[in-house]
Amino acid sequence: MIEISQLKKTYFRGDGTPVPALIDVSFDIADGEFVTIRGKSGSGKSSLMNILGCLDTPTSGRYLLAGEDVSGYNDRQRSLLRSRRIGFVFQSFNLLPRTTALENVEVPALYGEHELDRSKALALLQRVGLGERAEHFVSELSGGEQQRVAIARALMNDPPLLLADEPTGNLDSAAGESVMALLKELHRDGRTIVVVTHDEATAAHADRELLIQDGVIASDIVRAVSSGTGKS
Amino acid sequence: MKRLAALSLANRSMLRNPLRTVFMMLGVTVGIAALIAMSTVGESTRQETMRQFKNMVGTYDVINIEPGASATRGMPSLTTVPPTLKFADSKALTEQVDGIVAVAEVQNAFDLDAKYRDKSTAVALYGISANWLEMHSYFIDFGSVLTDEDVATVARVAVIGPDVRDALFPGEDPLGKQIRIGNVPFQVKGVLVTRGAGPGGSSLDSIVFIPVSTASKRLFNRDYLTTITVQLADPLNPEPVADAITAVLRERHGIVPPGEDDFSLGSPLAAAEQVADVDSTLTRVLTGVSIIATVIGGTVIMSLMLIAVSERRREIGVRRAVGATRNDIMLQFLVEAAAVAFLGGLVGVLLGLGGGVLATVQQNMPPALHWSSIVWAVALSVGVGLLFGLQPAWKAANTDPIEALRG
Ligand SMILES: Nc1ncnc2c1ncn2[C@@H]1O[C@H](COP(=O)(O)OP(=O)(O)O)[C@@H](O)[C@H]1O
Ligand SMILES: [Mg+2]
Repeated sequence: MIEISQLKKTYFRGDGTPVPALIDVSFDIADGEFVTIRGKSGSGKSSLMNILGCLDTPTSGRYLLAGEDVSGYNDRQRSLLRSRRIGFVFQSFNLLPRTTALENVEVPALYGEHELDRSKALALLQRVGLGERAEHFVSELSGGEQQRVAIARALMNDPPLLLADEPTGNLDSAAGESVMALLKELHRDGRTIVVVTHDEATAAHADRELLIQDGVIASDIVRAVSSGTGKS
Repeated sequence: MKRLAALSLANRSMLRNPLRTVFMMLGVTVGIAALIAMSTVGESTRQETMRQFKNMVGTYDVINIEPGASATRGMPSLTTVPPTLKFADSKALTEQVDGIVAVAEVQNAFDLDAKYRDKSTAVALYGISANWLEMHSYFIDFGSVLTDEDVATVARVAVIGPDVRDALFPGEDPLGKQIRIGNVPFQVKGVLVTRGAGPGGSSLDSIVFIPVSTASKRLFNRDYLTTITVQLADPLNPEPVADAITAVLRERHGIVPPGEDDFSLGSPLAAAEQVADVDSTLTRVLTGVSIIATVIGGTVIMSLMLIAVSERRREIGVRRAVGATRNDIMLQFLVEAAAVAFLGGLVGVLLGLGGGVLATVQQNMPPALHWSSIVWAVALSVGVGLLFGLQPAWKAANTDPIEALRG
């Protein structure tokens, strides 16, 4: 699913001083794997996720997504990839305010290749256990529920790859556990899932754990045999 | 369909911040309301002028031929025209020009005194062929009209306007009585229906009609005409008839190129339109002011939308993250701007119509407005919305999604 090699990301401050966020990162993630990327704050996790999610481009290095070299894709091409191949879950949920759960789940369909399908959005809300709350405004939902809506939204265009950047970061441990349990279920349905976290307990949910330190991959631990189809 | 759904979702943001939406609409509403109110008053005035003009000339489906190279200002009169247009010219036109329903001859003069016993009043005197009255929509109130026989026999008979009757025959039946004009006696055989006021409010009823032959032989002793009126079979297509008339008259008057015509053709419709369509400077200034107000409304839309774009960075980031292209975002905000401006324009049209109707009714004019004015006003609003939505939409489209989603 993901093959990256010698990936570098360098930001530049206003005065021109370079800030290296990723230094020579290389790894592969097979179809159907459930991987966590763990690291301290500022270690480069979000920088890596933004590139994996085609929100950002690497300064150098190669990124193959499902065998397709997307490193040099332009904004429009990356928008298309985000729409068709990638589902995103954020730490702060990022739901549209003053909008119902159902409408939030529908948003990706507005930019996808299929016609808007309300029943599908509803089915996804049921899948994440929120069928009853579909018509509720997001402000009426708890943090854990909001994150589930965000996960349902990420699934709306059937992406094979689901990326979550600290999805439990704003949740209490119980809600965090249930979100991780949900991601594990989705993994069992055959999706490739990458979760970023700074928390060891959260990282322990995955079959495989990449440790990132100061922009380099420090360790790559395979904890269990992946239920996915590929090899690591 | 799906794009429409995307936009309808987008436009709910207008409802989420109603106060801001109202402010965004306000400038456009005021500008468009002023524009529409003015167009209503302008069009009513135009139509009222046209109506008064038609009331004066009686008809629009004619060509008037006057002697002289250029049409006289105001009404031609025996004392002001050169003696080039003859009775024989009129006859020749009847015989030689196609597309003509009727030809009428006129020999007229103004400010003549009509007298009855010790009373006297100033009148406009028209010597006419018998078909002239009907052609110009003059109707008899009582008595009878002038006939071809009156013209043929050079009869000393007259049809008078109601003002003349009121001045000379108060409380008396004028029919059969003799009035004197320039010491020539005329027997009154009919009284006209009133025509009221012409443009400027002057009365059109102080008038006396006599047979053109009588005017020429008994009163003025002149053999030339002040006007020949030609009624057209096809009033919407006057050009061929006008060309034929010109050709016949030039030949009869022995004019060869490069000699200029010694007569001129005029159409009352064209004249009326010219009079009615003269925009006052005030109207033009006010139109300019309304358009400027609308444009200022556009700048209000722009600044409030720029604020909205900053506030909605996160929403923009989300949409971008789930697959919206820059163009999708651009389109969304453009449509929002256009929709707000459209609504503002629509409200403005309604307010302007209300104001315009009030203003015209107050001036005793029937309100009138061209549909095209409304279409133009709405198009102007949408155009202003699109134009001034451009910068906010561009800013929205170029919001960095990573920045927008952080934190
Ligand atoms: N847009 C940016 N401009 C400059 N420096 C940045 C920018 N984004 C991230 N960084 C820096 O890059 C490093 C990695 O950041 P990030 O990828 O957000 O780490 P993490 O998500 O692990 O906390 C940090 O030092 C951060 O300050
Ligand atoms: Mg981060």
